[in-house]
Amino acid sequence: MSRRKTDAEYSKTFAFKFFRWLSGTKDPYVNTVEMTPQKEYKPDKERMKWLEFEEKEAKEKVYDLDNNRVIKSYEKMYHAVAVIFCVALALLLLYTVSYLPRYGSEDRPTNNEVAERYIEQGMEETGAVNVVTGMILTYRAFDTFGETNVLFIATCCVMIMLMLEESVLESTEIFNERRYEPKNDRILQGAAYVLCPVIFIFGIYVILNGQISPGGGFSGGSIMGAGLILYATAFSFKNTERFFNEKVYKVAKITALIMYGLIGSYFYITGANGIANHIPLGIPGHILSAGIILPIDICVGIEVACTMYAFYALFRRGGL
Amino acid sequence: MEWLRLILGSAFLLVGIVFFAIQLYGIFRLDYALNRMHAAAMGDTLGLAFSMLGLMIFSGLNFNTFKMIIVVVLLWNASPVSSHLLARLEVMTNSKLENHLKVYYKLKDLEDEPEQGSGDDSTTDQKGQTK
Amino acid sequence: MIAQPDLTLLETVYKNIYIGVLIILSIGLFLCLLRAVKGPRIVDRIVAVNMMGTMVIVMIAVLSLLLKEGYLIDICILYACVSFLAVVVITKVYIGVFRQNKEEGEDSDGVA
Repeated sequence: MSRRKTDAEYSKTFAFKFFRWLSGTKDPYVNTVEMTPQKEYKPDKERMKWLEFEEKEAKEKVYDLDNNRVIKSYEKMYHAVAVIFCVALALLLLYTVSYLPRYGSEDRPTNNEVAERYIEQGMEETGAVNVVTGMILTYRAFDTFGETNVLFIATCCVMIMLMLEESVLESTEIFNERRYEPKNDRILQGAAYVLCPVIFIFGIYVILNGQISPGGGFSGGSIMGAGLILYATAFSFKNTERFFNEKVYKVAKITALIMYGLIGSYFYITGANGIANHIPLGIPGHILSAGIILPIDICVGIEVACTMYAFYALFRRGGL
Repeated sequence: MEWLRLILGSAFLLVGIVFFAIQLYGIFRLDYALNRMHAAAMGDTLGLAFSMLGLMIFSGLNFNTFKMIIVVVLLWNASPVSSHLLARLEVMTNSKLENHLKVYYKLKDLEDEPEQGSGDDSTTDQKGQTK
Repeated sequence: MIAQPDLTLLETVYKNIYIGVLIILSIGLFLCLLRAVKGPRIVDRIVAVNMMGTMVIVMIAVLSLLLKEGYLIDICILYACVSFLAVVVITKVYIGVFRQNKEEGEDSDGVA
């Protein structure tokens, strides 16, 4: 790459600092903030002695399960109380249920004007034949956005706890628990060769038909995740990495989330201010219909598929 | 014509349910897991296929029929593979396999076996754990 | 059993057939569950659950004809895929864990 500025000049520009911050090569606290070194750890000997003594006493006296009468009676009582508690709770709940109004009767609390509006005008307002999808993705789009964020945050937390460094992953590939598992099963590979494309196409079908059939983003995404898991089980993780690695995961997941946020915000801002939005509703029953439901379904589907596969891969080998 | 369809469809459905019943009978009658698997595979293939054929005749020719065919094809692909995996699980994890069946650790042993086994000579060596 | 005035004879017969099949299959499901609880080895349990999956597929297909909701057959396909995937993953993980435990047990026995 040719650059017009010299290196010394370039290092003062904003772009250089920004990219340095992005790649994280420089620690911002080094040479700028005064840091005191940590104190050396000194164990308190008397305290340690006391702790050891206590542990020994506990092991001998309290956890002597065969001879300790208190623990035995406590265990018996625990079981009895647990059974009594469960039975009492079940009876209480059944007693409460008997006071509920009959299913489908007129004076049910759920039978209010909100449900009426969803059922009566849901189809012409959202353009979705499936009332439930129309409800959760247009009237309550931000609620669903929260659920999608929950998925995102859950995978982030699991990644923080279980993700290994790439070098560690490669070096322990031979020694981890997958060594004991049967690998490269020809029969399973042949079946997966036939079934994986069918499962992927079926997942895409379910996602695209979200507004005209039961299904939608969540179920279609989980089907696609199942296809990914089947592929990773039959062939190895190494083969899966060829088309679904950490980079693809990051890009797909974050793009889907941002797209969902943008579409939902646009829809809500125009709707709240009484501005006509430019998303056509189309004819109910067609695939390209129902306004924002289809793009949101696609976003949710990608998110759920990534989450499913990420959970599986992280728990199995600690990396994507 | 409508009545003919009803009779034909219900006949196929009945055959499918009979296969399910045989499967259920076999799963209680047979006494070892690998034998039971043989009975259980019957419902996966013939029971499902005949029931679905009956339901296809009931529903007539439309998109749902196509989906039912996909279900049958998918399960006929998946069921033998899952049977293979389960059999391998049983063989790999059962340490007392000799109690239930005769184990040949090498293919050569099987070929050397005389016709109509003359008594059970249990001189199988533990060297080659079945892979 | 069900004789509503607005149904023709043919429709009534169909409905009764569907409901009969559903009842028979649900009894079968219960027996499968019995085997899954009883089964001495883990293979018995997995086989029983797999059989239940097959029966549930037929039940859902019957239900889709009974309720005249063709889209319910999508769930059949999904069920077939997921039950197969469950068997694949369970067998793989179980074999891995079993062999690891066995090897580690032997190692500790050798040391002690």
